[in-house]
Amino acid sequence: MLSIVESLLNGILMGSIYGLTAVGLTLIFGVMKVINFAHGSILMVGMFAAYWFVKLTGMNPYLALVVVVPFLFCFGYMLQGYVIKPIFDAEKDVREPITVIIVTTGIWYVLDNLAMILFGAEYRVVHTAISGKMFEFHDMYFLWPKLIGAGITLLCGVYLFWFLKHSKLGKAIRATSLDREAATLMGIKQSQVYNIAFGLGSACCGVAACVLVPFYYVYPTVGVSFDLKAFVIVVLGGLGSIPGAILGGIIIGIIETVGAQFMAATWTELLIYAFFLAVLFVKPSGLFGLRQDY
Amino acid sequence: MKLLRGQPPIVKVLTGLLLAGLFLLPTVVSSPTLMQILILVIFYAYLTSSWNFVGGFAGVLPLGHAAFVGIGAYTSTLLYLTFGLSPWFGMLAGGLLAALIGVIIGLPTLKLRGAYFALATIAVGEGLRVLVENVEQVGPFAVRGPKGLLINLVPHAPLSVFQFQGKAPYYYIILIMLLAVLYLTQRMMNSKIGYYLAAGGEEPEAAEALGIKVSRYKLIAMAISCFLTALGGTFYAQMFLYFNPKSIMGIDLSYEIAFIALIGGRGTILGPVLGALLLRPVSELTRIYLSASLPGLHLVIYGLILIVVMRYQPKGLVAPVKQLFERHIIPYFDKRRAKNGAPAEETD
Repeated sequence: MLSIVESLLNGILMGSIYGLTAVGLTLIFGVMKVINFAHGSILMVGMFAAYWFVKLTGMNPYLALVVVVPFLFCFGYMLQGYVIKPIFDAEKDVREPITVIIVTTGIWYVLDNLAMILFGAEYRVVHTAISGKMFEFHDMYFLWPKLIGAGITLLCGVYLFWFLKHSKLGKAIRATSLDREAATLMGIKQSQVYNIAFGLGSACCGVAACVLVPFYYVYPTVGVSFDLKAFVIVVLGGLGSIPGAILGGIIIGIIETVGAQFMAATWTELLIYAFFLAVLFVKPSGLFGLRQDY
Repeated sequence: MKLLRGQPPIVKVLTGLLLAGLFLLPTVVSSPTLMQILILVIFYAYLTSSWNFVGGFAGVLPLGHAAFVGIGAYTSTLLYLTFGLSPWFGMLAGGLLAALIGVIIGLPTLKLRGAYFALATIAVGEGLRVLVENVEQVGPFAVRGPKGLLINLVPHAPLSVFQFQGKAPYYYIILIMLLAVLYLTQRMMNSKIGYYLAAGGEEPEAAEALGIKVSRYKLIAMAISCFLTALGGTFYAQMFLYFNPKSIMGIDLSYEIAFIALIGGRGTILGPVLGALLLRPVSELTRIYLSASLPGLHLVIYGLILIVVMRYQPKGLVAPVKQLFERHIIPYFDKRRAKNGAPAEETD
């Protein structure tokens, strides 16, 4: 019984990190109606950035947040501004922007394999002061880096939610996601909002990357599994919904860790896809999604 | 030749020459490596043309087609290994099974927006791969999980075993399969279904309002596409005599099919062929010569080509080629013929 509670809590910890990557994805989708297939690769870029920062300076991994998050914001901002924007503009009025989706897949291929060429395929780990340290609570054990990571990601999620709700820029972003034309008529510069949304989405990956590095392997295709999970999570939580993404992330984290108590870990992957398809078939708007067109 | 009626004579001549060249090629090419590359180019053109039925004409983006390649390969091979059933019949069984599964998947998902459909097909594809990787034995069938299946080599094999010495027979089989699929594509484009799909792909609501049951025709397209893709899976299994879930059902294959279609030009007859012709040699050559020093380089090139083509030729590379033909080559030959005073129908 205790082991189930322990894995349940561990699932929540890991799930909130999944949740933050999914928040980035859902933010980009909400504003641009484009699924960013390169999202996992952006996370990978962030993880390598954090890895080299810690490796070269030897500083506390959480200090990397200060460097990696702005770096990834700029990375996403420029990726959208220079690579995606021209293709997006050509397809702006099309109901199903397929070309943009496939271009983000192209970006994914380029980034992952460039990393493979530059850094090699081996799995890297950073040894930090808190790596492998356990937190004991009533005979249950939790990794300290996971606890801290979940705390930071949840804080970031809540802050982002508040930011979108109350700040002026956040309101502009929400207005654009609701109605592009009307937002433009109100004097909101669309392309700027897209760039910022993409940058913010990437910055979410930056936060997740920094908190993952102390306890997770870094390798060029690390993003793929996070990517697939993020897709599942955003649909689960309702495409475009930020609280939905965080809750969806926690659900996936729980399925993964609690499921592993009863079956081989490879089967839990299947369980996630099956759950995803079931939600898609029964309630495509997601568990917490608003009624949108789907 | 019915298909070519109404085309300018130069197109007829070129098509004839091209076909003759393709059929005579194995008599000239002696290098097995080159032969292998040619077969793979045609194989990928075949898979992409099959994908095109749903990805090109139904206006959605399927990203899990490797699952159907896998269904084809596993069905025919398991039937052959367990019951000794000829892979030729197994091929049909695999195709039908794939079509059935395609319809089951398409029934709920084809109604959704494009993004959801793409994600659902990824989930189905990856889910099936994970399932096969986790299964060792189902009833009498030894699936062997991630180890994959090995087909034993039969010496002096009769035709029914679908094994041949040398590469040439495989070349002819896949070439005929490709030509058949292209013919089918052409027929579909000019049929009622083709028009309905074209209408439904762009404006589903408008088409529905005109009384076209868009999702039904999308389902038909999906079934055809899955059936044909699975036939390709059996071909792959018989050609290499070994496959595993990762190689044949992996997400990489699904993406590669979609990439080839988009770079060549989806929703056109020759786009997939052009895309395969362009991309496959790149990947084979970099894999042969550079994989030791620069692993993954061919995928970087793939990605870059994709981004650049989508930026400057969003309809795929078939568009500028067609334009070149219509603007320059056909008028040039027409002019020459007019000068020589040749009778119009002589080249027929």
